[in-house]
Amino acid sequence: MLTPEATRSNSAAIEAEGLTKRFGEFTAVDALDLHVETGTVVSLLGPNGAGKTTMVRMLATLLRPDGGSARIAGHDVVGEAERVRRAISLTGQFAALDKNLTARENLVLMARLRGHGRGAARAIAKELIERFDIEEFHDRLVKNLSGGQRRRVDLAAGLIDKPQLLVLDEPTTGLDPRSRQVVWSTVRELVAEGVTLLLTTQYLEEADALADRVVLIDHGREIAAGTPAQLKAQVGEQRVDVLAPDGAALEQLREALDGRFETAIAREQRTISIPAPAEVEDLARVTQAIKASGIAVDEIALRRPTLDDAFLALTGHPVEDGEQSDSEQAPNIRDRAESPEKEGVTR
Amino acid sequence: MSSHAIAEDNSRIAAPDRSRNTVRRFVGDTALLTARSLRSIPRVPERLLDVTIQPIIFILLFLYVFGSAIHVVGIDYKNYLFPGILGQSLAFGVIGAGVATSNDMTEGVVDRFRSLPISRLSIITGQVMGQFCEALLGLTITVVVGLLLGWDPHLTLAHGIELLALMMLAVLAFTWTGVLFGMIVRSPDAMQGMGFIIILPLTFMAGTFVPIEGLDAVPRAIAQWDPISALVATVRKLTEGYPSHGSWQLDHPEVAMVMWCVLLLAICVPLALRRFNRTLAS
Repeated sequence: MLTPEATRSNSAAIEAEGLTKRFGEFTAVDALDLHVETGTVVSLLGPNGAGKTTMVRMLATLLRPDGGSARIAGHDVVGEAERVRRAISLTGQFAALDKNLTARENLVLMARLRGHGRGAARAIAKELIERFDIEEFHDRLVKNLSGGQRRRVDLAAGLIDKPQLLVLDEPTTGLDPRSRQVVWSTVRELVAEGVTLLLTTQYLEEADALADRVVLIDHGREIAAGTPAQLKAQVGEQRVDVLAPDGAALEQLREALDGRFETAIAREQRTISIPAPAEVEDLARVTQAIKASGIAVDEIALRRPTLDDAFLALTGHPVEDGEQSDSEQAPNIRDRAESPEKEGVTR
Repeated sequence: MSSHAIAEDNSRIAAPDRSRNTVRRFVGDTALLTARSLRSIPRVPERLLDVTIQPIIFILLFLYVFGSAIHVVGIDYKNYLFPGILGQSLAFGVIGAGVATSNDMTEGVVDRFRSLPISRLSIITGQVMGQFCEALLGLTITVVVGLLLGWDPHLTLAHGIELLALMMLAVLAFTWTGVLFGMIVRSPDAMQGMGFIIILPLTFMAGTFVPIEGLDAVPRAIAQWDPISALVATVRKLTEGYPSHGSWQLDHPEVAMVMWCVLLLAICVPLALRRFNRTLAS
């Protein structure tokens, strides 16, 4: 960012203390602290309704906090909202585009609203269209674009002026795996350029792939924080899951594998689970042992720890009802849609 | 995602300082956002239905179907009907503005605007201006169709100017009302339904198609104080010199209409602004 007033080199990108937001009886964000150094990528990880979007909306001056304080690039989100809006770029969970304009018209409009003249706005749109591979569909109305295409335009619209802080709220929720990869590679490029990024996600894998630091939250509170490696160390490594065709085979398998591996058995699921710190090598060893025993199995799979595993490991209970994505709901009711009577998780 | 663009990115000229003159900025942002609203009209032509096709259907129905059974003393029914239709289509502007607003509010785009360093007021004034132009367009179409079908308004120049000014005031008031409703209701379908339940009956009970004098006591009382009655009576008085009676507001339709508009604006503008700042804030 080149405007002189916007540069305050010594301040952290985000400094939030005790940030709180209540919707009636329901506390969406409960005294949350968040510290993001300039030039780093921090991910807010949590299930649906954990308070991620509410947190992000408070930081982006779209919601007024009920308690606590937050500074973005040194500017207070309440007292200096205008400055904050100049420093931050928010790309929400739902494509924030005018669906009755074309991709290009959207980009030009956003650039003009950011104060660029007609010519400059066109030039910026052109550059973003090239950069985000939008050429192919830049003249189509946004309402006729696919989810992945919209996301790309949406990301581009967030980068009209290189922001001091880029906030991406669940950038890949609802996307197919291919589009997700495209978004990831775009985000990686931005990070390589030194953009400071706050990313919210429901996917442990995504936080792991993109973030320097992960803050795991639930019910508006921090449950754990650390580097992805630290978090994964707490959660546990990958596992090999072996699915047996029936109960008898399951017991036979256990006898065959028991001496050589550290097995955990889940009889209802007919599954034997084995830690696989060496990942594919462990998978190969287990596969070989099973082959040697001659017992037929239905499935052998190497499984990454998921958000559910993380919750189980860190809180002792699974995610309550977060696995269902409610991405079709309106953004402004989403965090309130959570049932208020659920109890908060203690650290 | 070519890598050469990254280098270009750093050389990009920073946005001009947005702390320049607040008024100029407000006007500029409003103009941009109004243009954005207008641009979507040809792309979502069905949005104009409320203010174009609907009045035309009512014109045809009443002129050629019900009209044959309606006799109004002292005036050709055609000339009685068109001022009514005009008032009705103005009132339908509430629904149009409401649906468009609730549409916008349920999309993420308003969130994006709000997170930009622009004049926040311009987001709502841009919306109002866009709807205002849309309503005027619908009104023009209705008038043209009326003239083509043989409506023969007896307008003096002075009355014409007065009528135009009053109609624009009414469009403005109805647009703000619609914007407020649109923000409260939040779902375009619900807004459409609400329009059907509240606005439609009010437009029928406003001396629009049949004289108020012949109505039963209860609908007559409603009609005598229905704001749309004042509007219809004003149009009828100015275009045809045809007087309406039955209540103070019908005896003084222009004054009553201006009062209604001012009242609507005085209520809806501050509420809409407050609502706007809160709607997305919770």
